[in-house]
Amino acid sequence: MENSIQGEQIIQDLLPRKFKTGGKVWIGVLTAICLVGAYAYYRQLRYGLIVTNMRDYVSWGIYISNFVFFVAISLVGSLITAVFRLLGVKWGTPLTRIAEMIAVGAIMFASIIIIVDMGSPERFYNLFLYGRIQSPIIWDVIVITTYFFISLLLLYYPLLPDIKILLRFKEKYSPRLYKFYRWLGAFWKGDHKQYLLSKKAINALCIAIIPVAFTIHTVTSWLFATTYRPGWDSTNFGAYFIAGAFLVGAGGVVVAMYIFRTWYRMDKYITPEHFDKMGRVLVLLSLLYLYFNINEFLTPFFKMKESEASYLNDLFTGSFAPMFWFAILTGIILPVIILLFKQGRRPLPMFIVGIMVVVGAWFKRYLIVTPTLLHPFMPMHDVPSAYRHYFPSWEEWAIAMASLAGTMLVITLLCRIFPIIPIQETIDHNHETVK
Amino acid sequence: MKQLNKTITGLVSFVLIISGYNGFSQSAQKASVNIAINYFNANNSIPHLVVNAKTRVNGRFQPVGGIAVKLLLDKDSAGTTIGKVVTNEKGEAASFIPPSVKQEWASSKTHTFLAVFDGNNKFEATKADLTIAPARMLISTNDKSITATVLQLKDTSWVPVKGVDLKIGVRRLGGDLPVNETPTFTTDSTGQASADFKRDSIPGDSKGNIVLVAKVEDNDQFGNLSVEKTVPWGGKFKYVSTFDRRTLFGTRDKAPIWLIFMSGGVILAVWITLILLVRNIFAIKKIGREAR
Repeated sequence: MENSIQGEQIIQDLLPRKFKTGGKVWIGVLTAICLVGAYAYYRQLRYGLIVTNMRDYVSWGIYISNFVFFVAISLVGSLITAVFRLLGVKWGTPLTRIAEMIAVGAIMFASIIIIVDMGSPERFYNLFLYGRIQSPIIWDVIVITTYFFISLLLLYYPLLPDIKILLRFKEKYSPRLYKFYRWLGAFWKGDHKQYLLSKKAINALCIAIIPVAFTIHTVTSWLFATTYRPGWDSTNFGAYFIAGAFLVGAGGVVVAMYIFRTWYRMDKYITPEHFDKMGRVLVLLSLLYLYFNINEFLTPFFKMKESEASYLNDLFTGSFAPMFWFAILTGIILPVIILLFKQGRRPLPMFIVGIMVVVGAWFKRYLIVTPTLLHPFMPMHDVPSAYRHYFPSWEEWAIAMASLAGTMLVITLLCRIFPIIPIQETIDHNHETVK
Repeated sequence: MKQLNKTITGLVSFVLIISGYNGFSQSAQKASVNIAINYFNANNSIPHLVVNAKTRVNGRFQPVGGIAVKLLLDKDSAGTTIGKVVTNEKGEAASFIPPSVKQEWASSKTHTFLAVFDGNNKFEATKADLTIAPARMLISTNDKSITATVLQLKDTSWVPVKGVDLKIGVRRLGGDLPVNETPTFTTDSTGQASADFKRDSIPGDSKGNIVLVAKVEDNDQFGNLSVEKTVPWGGKFKYVSTFDRRTLFGTRDKAPIWLIFMSGGVILAVWITLILLVRNIFAIKKIGREAR
């Protein structure tokens, strides 16, 4: 009896809620940013890539930096959902859906931003018609599609029991939304056979998503590492990218945890203990990423090969030095120092650290792409001065910001439609704890 | 007011003098150009001349392209014009000795080539000359031994020349490879210099042919002479084309088999699993329908 009362309370707490004024303003702001980005993209389509500041040297600018950032942050789906689930980490249950929503949103815009970077997107289909299996770009296309599909399934399967619960509250939703819920999972009766099939499927997805997640980011790193350029000519790149991706993904989840906890008053479900444990995970991932960064930069710095010297000097002491040291300090070193203290792992400091990690990670992706392209092994003779410098045009900024806003919009809409925290799993977990 | 007028007049005069001086200096001095002539005779055929034009810029010699140079044989008169050539971006221009100067060529045993540049708006006019005694080279082989002979025309017959430095090598793609460890040879009283061939492992063409070359370079008396002979002393080279192979850099229909199987296997394994998982949803749906 007590269990069922607690269960009803959990359901009431975790049901998706309509947006109030704040939520509507948030949606409006994100939509406005997306519309400005759409106008900038219209200009890019009309006048060509000349509206960007990308030239023959920096042919991958802020778009590809954003792409790498999105791919990185999407990896959190596999970390929180799959790794935690397979390792039997029960405290991670309330975070699984947040992680999957972030993964779906990020991977969607990773795909979109790569098309935005194309000069002639109307020829995109040629990639499938004439793509070479030898090319890492094709590997990336295949693996992103696969990862997106797995992420969708991993979001959908655990939703089925929750949809059954949502369907009990017809009065709370618009007819259209209710119809959508029915279409998604009216067939779920909570039957034992259904439960077994669903559990089997979730386990299979958790196993499948880990190698696919590793592949997606390794292949993305190979887009760079298979190109002979200073800073990219590295055997460390796969592991370096994966470590960085897990870190930014975990940082993203921490930020989302704090926002949802505060916004929807979910203190009971996303507790300081969750922040404390995520803090420990972040410390581990920061140290791991720091280790790979030292590997990535110390040996080239020690050798200081003539062909790489200008690139390295530009990064360490030159025009990119403020951004480089900001990304290293803010995104890796300071989080470790703050999170080593218990006080630092409380919700608010964790939220600030999460933002530091995400912002630092974004700049780190920019630093992976741009300085290398500005320092080719074989510089062109007598190039225009515009080739030697890169700062994104307003169109590039607008499109990049729109893609970030678009990701947040997808996450926000998913939160509006589906429970942010798995209801049935939380009830089951609660029952087990009571027992 | 008078003082002001004086000041203005003074200033204007000063400006005019300064601008006049600048204007004068803008009619820049013409640079001098150095012209050199080189004489070449390959395989005792028609000789040719190569002209090199250089100028000194900031203490360094730079090639001068686009200047017209008139080439003459012995003197500037009718029937002695070899041709008019224009230098390329490397400052070089070449011309064969034409049949029109045959009479002049036969009239003497030594010749002086003249190069005349009349000057242009950038460079001063200049001249250069080169005196050459026509000579010829022979090459013969015997049991992997090579003999080169240098002959000079004296009176009406070709006579051997003693003490001429020459090189004997094998023509390769990037230059000539010496036939043994001795870099240069000197002709004896018979005008001959011999070398043993010690490049047995060298690859030749499909029949094992290699091209031997004997050459005299930048000789003060004879210029540049060379003679070639093809001998079957090399290894037979079988050309294997890698153009149409299955490689990582090949076209899409030339992907390596291992890559096709590996990637195909991984893609199939993952997507078959995913399709089964989608099918699983329908199985769950069916159970739900039956449970109604």
